[in-house]
Amino acid sequence: MTAPTATSIAPPTSVSPTPRQVWTRTRGLVLALLLLIAAGIVLATAHSGAQHGRLDPRSADQHGSRAVAELLKDRGVSIRVATTLEEATTAVGPDTTLLVTAPDLLTPGQQRELRAATADSAGRTVLLAAGPPSVDTLAPGVRTTSTGPVAPRAPQCLLPAAHSAGNADTGGFRYTADGLETLACYPSGGLPTLLVVQEQASGDTALLGSADFLYNSRLDSQGNASLALQLLGSRPHLVWYLPSLADPSATGNSGDTDDSTGSEGADNDRSFADLIPSGWLWGTLQLAVAAVLAAIWRARRLGPLVTERLPVAIRASESTEGRARLYRKANARDRAASSLRSATRTRIAPLLGVSPRNAHSPEVLLPAVSARLSTIEGGLDTVLFGTAPADDAALVRLADQLDTLEREVRTS
Amino acid sequence: MALTGRTALLAALGSLPVGILAPSWTGMLAVNAPLSLAILCDYALAAPVRTLQFTRSGDTTVRLGDGAEVQLTVTNASRRRLRAHLRDAWPPSSWLTGTEQAASRHRLDIPAGERRRLTTRLRPTRRGDRRSERITVRSYGPLGLAARQGSHKVPWTVRVLPPFTSRKHLPSRLARLRELDGRTSVLTRGEGTEFDSLRAYVPGDDTRSIDWRATARQSGVAVRTWRPERDRHILIVLDTGRTSAGRVGDVPRLDAAMDATLLLTALATRAGDRVDLLAYDRRIRAQVQGRAAGEVLSAMVTAMAPLEPELVETDARGLSAAALASAPRRSLIVLLTSLDAAPIEEGLLPVLPQLTQRHTVLVAAVADPHIEQMAEARGTVDAVYEAAAAAQAKAQRQRTAEQLQRHGVVVVDATPDHLAPALADAYLALKGAGRL
Repeated sequence: MTAPTATSIAPPTSVSPTPRQVWTRTRGLVLALLLLIAAGIVLATAHSGAQHGRLDPRSADQHGSRAVAELLKDRGVSIRVATTLEEATTAVGPDTTLLVTAPDLLTPGQQRELRAATADSAGRTVLLAAGPPSVDTLAPGVRTTSTGPVAPRAPQCLLPAAHSAGNADTGGFRYTADGLETLACYPSGGLPTLLVVQEQASGDTALLGSADFLYNSRLDSQGNASLALQLLGSRPHLVWYLPSLADPSATGNSGDTDDSTGSEGADNDRSFADLIPSGWLWGTLQLAVAAVLAAIWRARRLGPLVTERLPVAIRASESTEGRARLYRKANARDRAASSLRSATRTRIAPLLGVSPRNAHSPEVLLPAVSARLSTIEGGLDTVLFGTAPADDAALVRLADQLDTLEREVRTS
Repeated sequence: MALTGRTALLAALGSLPVGILAPSWTGMLAVNAPLSLAILCDYALAAPVRTLQFTRSGDTTVRLGDGAEVQLTVTNASRRRLRAHLRDAWPPSSWLTGTEQAASRHRLDIPAGERRRLTTRLRPTRRGDRRSERITVRSYGPLGLAARQGSHKVPWTVRVLPPFTSRKHLPSRLARLRELDGRTSVLTRGEGTEFDSLRAYVPGDDTRSIDWRATARQSGVAVRTWRPERDRHILIVLDTGRTSAGRVGDVPRLDAAMDATLLLTALATRAGDRVDLLAYDRRIRAQVQGRAAGEVLSAMVTAMAPLEPELVETDARGLSAAALASAPRRSLIVLLTSLDAAPIEEGLLPVLPQLTQRHTVLVAAVADPHIEQMAEARGTVDAVYEAAAAAQAKAQRQRTAEQLQRHGVVVVDATPDHLAPALADAYLALKGAGRL
């Protein structure tokens, strides 16, 4: 019972793959996966410059806006970056400029809320590239028409900022406003791409057809920097609103989740999950982990299923049974009766001393039977050589009569 | 890698501290990180499965209906104690239904460097070869949380022999055989008989067998006695074609034919005849030729064990050629086939003259007891139609048998239970009549 002697000669019997085999099998897959990840990283770095950090005051990218933010800071304007609607609306005030970088990305509810906050604030609101989805709500009375190319354009208006800035890279959406007190600048094809709408309470809303002049890459050309500084630096505080998906007001019915509606709305919104203690939830989560482990435990089979080559199972009597059912279906009483009669005749002939050859001839068989039996119900010749039964009952009766006949021949 | 119920239980118990003390991700981590660590440690500490060594020994043949024992020696060559579950997998028909789980699984506890012997008890339910499948070992770690699992292939074959249930008829047939020996010459003189001895004449003896020369030497009249000739040749031909696949009762016709073959072989060997076997459908499936009397029965059993009916039409021409090739001298050819009209009329009848020219031919067929039952069915319309169909089938069979008999073939048609004794009786009758 100690170390066996023949171990070194014994051929390996294991059929499980060795680690080397596992590595050989999976290395291609692993390599492909690594290549995929590497390609993904390379592609991401190569293409990230285009839109990453667009109009972000912290981004030094081509399309970032750190340059203008630095310039504004140098001029004593405090910049506060807001990513949620709540941050943006609480910060607005008479001495504040609110820059909305992507008004089209706001949901209708958010737009309404923003408009409600800015309308009476007496501050300035700058909307960059506000298109049809947002312009109706954020600047009532203003309509937008088709877009034009971004190109250096002359101000051609009385707005001091535009006037002193001179030519600037503008374009994009073009605006019209009827019946409002507006200043229209930088026209493209006759329609302005910069529209300043005077609001009540000394506030104003500036709509810009495109945001290109705020990009780091464009700020130094034309009068872009000047225009940006004057539009955004007119008040000591600047709220730089970058709409984001993390904003809770972007999801759900954001129009109602205002501060003022919190008390009554929250009670209705709290789901069942909010009401049960967190311990139960975490305990259940741990139980789910246990369930997964139990599933793994039960799912692992102790070796694969063993198959067996099964022999065919054909009943030898199948064709006879099939013939019986065919007779039944076709109501082949004549066939059935003749084969029953023939079988009985074959069986009784040797008992009566009739040769098998003559068993089916009435001239020989009938006298031999009548010599042994006096008579039988239905008549001997009818039972042994009669016509086909008229109905099923007659067939059943015939079978019984044949049985009786045979029994009597045997016992006589 | 395999987990145990203990792991799942620990994880479930972990929901109490998580739920009560620390309902947070921290709590989840505090419970599951040590658990995962324990699982990994346990896996690492479990005895390796790959380095286990196996050797088999034990039975290689078993009669159907008996049990076989196959031993498996497991050597744990590693430095860790092996605590494991082992499954010695065999095809499902190696065990009675329902006992497979208990019979194939074993618990193992082998200290490092030692070995243990396990016994797997098989109880095959079908004839043929049973080949062992893989051995799967699940080796548990010391904590019983995780296990390594792996398989080994250690080939072993147990041949399941035909059961020879008709053995019970052998004593009575042997007694009849002894009666044949040394019987008087009255009726049994024929080609296949040889001179045995002289004895006094008793009234009733055939006067042709009076030995006048011996009578002249003695005071009384002496007659010669004869005994059946010994050392005749019998070739049993099993038809393994499609007609042998039909189930009669719960076994194929082929199995009933094999049973009859075994009884005939046992009987003929005792009677001093040589018995050969040929199994044929479109090619030779099994053959036993020229074995000594002592070993022919076991050789036949072994040769027939793996035979299965093939779903092809038997090639009667090839069968007759093969039979003629294996029966060079005058023999009794026992053909175990079916009496279905089509295969006999189209296949066997045209080639039968070749066989009957030199040999005595006996055709034995398995009748179906179910058809007998159907023939007796009465009372309802369905039953009567069944009886009619069965009568027709029997008449057909009878006609086929008569056709064969017209060629001088002896026909034995019996249900599986009665085929073996009926065939033995037919053999004894032929032997008694000296027709071998």
